[in-house]
This record gives sequence, structure tokens and C-alpha cells, in this order.
Amino acid sequence: MSDTLLPLLVALPLLGAVLAVAAGLASERAAAAVTTLVLAAQTGLAGWLGSQAVLDGPLSVGVGGFVAPYGIELVVDGLSAAVLVLVAVVSLAVLAFATEDAPGGTAFYAQYLLLVTGLSGMAVTGDVFNLYVFLEITGLATYALVASAGTGRSAVSALKYLLFGTVAASLYLLGVGYALMATGTLNMADLATELAAAGYDSPLVLASFGFIVVGLATKTALFPLHTWQPDAYADAPDSVSALIAALVSTVAAYALLRLIYTVYTPAFFEAVPVARDALVAFAAVSIVVGSVLAVTQSEIKRMLAYSSVSQYGLVVVGLAIGTPAAVFGAVVHLLGHAIMKGGLFVAAGAVADLTGARTVDEYAGLADRFPVLGGASAVLMLAMVGVPPAVGFAGKWYIALGAVRAGSWPVAVVIFASTLLTLAYFALLVERMFVAPASESVLAATDGGRDGDDDTDALGPSPPSASRPSRRALALVVGAAVVAIVLGVVVTDLGTALEPTIDTLLSP
Amino acid sequence: MSDRDSPTDATADSGRPDGADESQPDAVDGEGSVSRPADERPPYVESTIIMTTVRVIAPFVLTLGLFVMFHGASSAGGGFQGGVIAATTVVMLGFAFGIEPIASRLRNEHLALLVLSGVGTFLVVGLGGYLVGDNFLQVSEYETLFHHGSKYSIELVEVGIGVVVSGVITSLFFLLGTGIDAADAADPDTDSEEDR
Repeated sequence: MSDTLLPLLVALPLLGAVLAVAAGLASERAAAAVTTLVLAAQTGLAGWLGSQAVLDGPLSVGVGGFVAPYGIELVVDGLSAAVLVLVAVVSLAVLAFATEDAPGGTAFYAQYLLLVTGLSGMAVTGDVFNLYVFLEITGLATYALVASAGTGRSAVSALKYLLFGTVAASLYLLGVGYALMATGTLNMADLATELAAAGYDSPLVLASFGFIVVGLATKTALFPLHTWQPDAYADAPDSVSALIAALVSTVAAYALLRLIYTVYTPAFFEAVPVARDALVAFAAVSIVVGSVLAVTQSEIKRMLAYSSVSQYGLVVVGLAIGTPAAVFGAVVHLLGHAIMKGGLFVAAGAVADLTGARTVDEYAGLADRFPVLGGASAVLMLAMVGVPPAVGFAGKWYIALGAVRAGSWPVAVVIFASTLLTLAYFALLVERMFVAPASESVLAATDGGRDGDDDTDALGPSPPSASRPSRRALALVVGAAVVAIVLGVVVTDLGTALEPTIDTLLSP
Repeated sequence: MSDRDSPTDATADSGRPDGADESQPDAVDGEGSVSRPADERPPYVESTIIMTTVRVIAPFVLTLGLFVMFHGASSAGGGFQGGVIAATTVVMLGFAFGIEPIASRLRNEHLALLVLSGVGTFLVVGLGGYLVGDNFLQVSEYETLFHHGSKYSIELVEVGIGVVVSGVITSLFFLLGTGIDAADAADPDTDSEEDR
């Protein structure tokens, strides 16, 4: 019954984008209100349908009554339910920060909702061509959001992202084309059987796998295909950085997981072991190089961006290893990374609004002046390093466990090394914040700033005007820290909930 | 890095001609301006030949656009192609009579409404599927409402697509041609709050 409501997960934010523009013709506040309402409704819908999918097994529907594999099928299983809920919740939460920090403007809210449309669509679709369409919707909305900072730098970054993103999506489409030539179908479930019939070692199937993986790896930002990502994250408005760092690459990595296990199935890796080895090596290099590049950064947002390159490497290693524990670890790390990185970008944005501090050195003494913000950021950083009981630890633990069980000792070593490197850059930052004497910008913010009442409705206070972080930003950072810890504690429950889905994915 | 501290200012600037608003200093020293000031744009040259030709063929082009748009459901044609052809009419008028006069007649709100009504049409047909049937975009169920219901509802979606495409192409053309008029200018109330 609730199956037929699946298209609403995509139609609702799309309708919201239309309503936001219409409301925006009246006033910008109306557009913000519409966006909030729509995202709240989307969160409710995603939560309800997601819980149905987890409790009663996968939901699926052929859009417009056209039966799969001829029509477009939408499918929600436990995994896509988790991603859907993540997208809805994070976009709603970041919106609270965006309304006070963001460039504003009606177009911004419309793009925001279109981004949610694309991301939700990528999560629910069961059709590889439809996935391409949503990949492009996501991409176009993201390019526009990155450019919405309105500076020359952000325009250049958005253009770079556009070039990379378009090439990546085209490579993906090329791979879909090869798969279509080999099988004559576009439905994911149908492709799984037809690809097996076509023979996994046929050149068409191998070429399609290669193109699809490279296309989606570019979207996920694995080294050396990551070069669009630090610029895009660093030059976007702070709220947009938080949103895209939390969601866009996450959903691309989800799509990679979905394609590898639903379309190509583990049997493909059995038949073509070199594909798995190449993917593991690719991701392992990404883990190490991403971390090393992060250590060398002095600007906070860039450091966080390179850290993402490394963390997505971990996720892809987990899903490439392909034991149940490793795939579960990859999913946990995917969700956990989204929460932690989103929270850290919000924190970076709040600090920049308060003090203008944007580099590691400028963060000196921050925790003395803003103990709650600094403390919550430190919790998120340590969670990212993998200190138990936070979710960062749980994800890495399961991935490493899966790697050891699969006998991939070098991968376990790489994961351990990456933890040390992650510690290197985050510990430096924590040391600056808590131990080092206060930097000039931090001092200026606390001594020279006027004592604002923190009117949370005010649009982005220009630095250094406020002496306290805005309540919303603070609530988001603290909330992200709490969620990161809670998710780590309840990870076994999450495992029980996702177990049937992962078993289905990994069954040959 | 000062440009990064105040993204709000810069956005507001990019949407207006340079120096149009004294209270908004160019926060990024030219770096953030994506529009061309009027004196740098190529001048409009009036040509009787072009104006006459455009006057004659414009109605035919628009008709062809609508013709292609209305043939999306059952024969060769479709909303994308038709919408582009229909938008060509505006582009031609722009070249013949100057972009600014045309853009001042077809303002941002009109184009926004065009795009909104197009996307809205699709959503109405899609969500209407829940009313007549039990699925999103279930066009086959419109057969119960009127003769050839599924064909005409798909046709309606195609027309909606055509309207979106023509609206978007027209606004992109104006945006490129004038640099300002079709841009999503920020509301005045946001500007006043961020004066420094």
C-alpha cells in the first residue's frame, strides 16, 4: 500500500522547489518558510517509508503503473531507507544554519530543494538510467549552490566542479550504455540476472563496470579524481559546504555500493577478482594520500575536504572487500561521516562568522572563548579519528574487521595508518583550540565585538560582530556530536536492522 | 580572504549593475561581478532587413514550436524540441529589436511564472495519478475520465516541458544578453540588513 507513495519522496521536494520560487516572488522569508515546511514533511515521509522498508521488507513500485523492467522502478530497502532518512534529516538541519548564514535569495532555496530532489531520487531509484538523471539533477543543483557565494573564486570552483561532474556523469552514462548493449535492460534487478547471462568476463560488461566505477568514484571524490572537491567545499558558502560535504559525495558512494552489489553482484567480483583488487588498491591509495594532503593544509575547510577524500576511501575499501562486516562498516562510516563532517563544516562556518578565523593558526585559543562550540567540535574531530564509542570508531572497526577476516592484511594496516594520520591533523587542531594562547582574531571577536543578543533571525552576522555563536549553529554542532556518539553506541542495533538488507545484497 | 567572510554581500552585488547602488560597495573588487556593465556590451545595430525578416517569420517559428510541442505524445516531436523552437522566437526578436527592450517587456516574474507553470503542470498530472488511480503519474487511469485520457495527459506533460524549456532558454538568453534583468536579484529587505 505504502509502496505507491515512493514517488512522493522525489515529487515532494520538486513541488517544494516550485512553491519556494512562487513564494519567493512575494518575499524571501516566505521561500525559507516553504522550504522548511517541505523538508519537515520530507523527513516525516522518509522516516515513515524507511521504517516500513526496514520492518516489512523492501518497498518497490513501477512509476506510472509501467511494470519493471520496462518501466522505471523505485525501490527502498534498508540501505536506501537509511540514506533517504539521512538526506532528509541533514538537509532539514543544515537549513536552520543556511537561513542565517547563506547567501539567501529565492533561487538558493529552490536549488536547495532541487538538490534534495536529486539526492532522494538517487537513493530510491532502481533503474540505472534514472540514476543518471538524478545524478545530473544533483550535480546541477550543487554547481549552482557552490557558485551562490557570488565571489569569483566560488564561480571558478563551481565551473571546475561542473566540468569534472559532467565528465563523471558522462562516463557513468557510457558505462550504462555498454551494460545496455550487453543486456538490453536498464532495470537494476533485471541487469543483475542479464549481466550474469551475458558473461562477467565479456568485454562489454568489463568496460561498463570500469566506466561506471570511474564515473561514480569521481563524484565520490577518490584520489586522484578528487581535485574538484577541495575547491568546491572551500569556496562554497559555509552552509552549502556543510550540506554538500555531508550528502553529495555520500549519496554518490551509496550509488557505487548499490551498483556494485545490486547490479554487478558479488559473483562479478568472484569471476573478475582483478576488479576487486583494483578497487581496493584505488581506495587504499585514496585513504593515505587524502590524509597526507589533509595534514599539509592550513585552511580549515580545505583540511576537512581532504579528510573527506580519505574517509570516502575507507568507505570504498569496505564495500570493495565485500564481507558482510566490511560492507556494514562501509555503510556505518558513510552515515557517520556525513553527520560528523556536516557538523564540522557547520562549526567551521560558525567560527568564521564569529571570529573570521579560517586557518589552523587562527583557531588558537578558540575553546577558551567558546567552550561549547570548541568542545563539541573537538568531540566531532575525535569521533572522526575513531575514538570509541563514537561512530567513527564503529565504522572503521567493522571495515578493519572485514578486511582481516577476508585476509587483506595490507588493508588493515592502511586503515590503521590512516587513523594515525587523521589523528595528526585533528590533534593539531584540537591542540591549537585548547592549549595554544588565543589568536588575534579570536581575541578581537571576544573583546572588541559588541554584545549582541544573538537574534537568530539575523542574516549572517558579519565578523566580528557577534561575541557568541548563534544558537542554531551551536545546536547543530552539539547535536551532530551527540548523534555521532549515540550512533556509535547503538551501532549493533543498526547492524540488526540492516542485516537482512546486507545479506540480500551480498547473496550471490 | 575577505571575500569569503561575507558571501551575502557578494551575491547581492552580482545581481545588479556596477555602481547602481551606492550603499553596496563592491565587496570583492570586481572579482565577484559576473555581469558586464552596459558600456562594455556590443552596441545594438538597427537593421531594416533583419527587423522585417524577423517580423515575417516570427509567427511561423512560434507556430512550428507549438506544433512540435503538441506532437510529443503520439508522433515525432516533444516538449524539449518544441520549447527550444518557441524560445527561438524571443531570441530572434532580441537580435532584431535589441535585447533590452524585449527583456523589459518579458520580465523576470513572467519567465519565473512560465517555468513554474510548466513544472507545476507535470506535478499536477503526476499527483493526479493518485486521485484517478493509485500511483504517481498513472496516466492510463485518465482514460476513465475522458477519451484518450492517457494520450492527452502525456501531451499535457510535454506542453509543460515545452513551457519550462522555452522559459529557461529565454531567461538564459536575457541573462547573457543583458547581464542583469533576468538574474534573481536579491530582495531589497536582505540588502538593508547587511550594510557595513
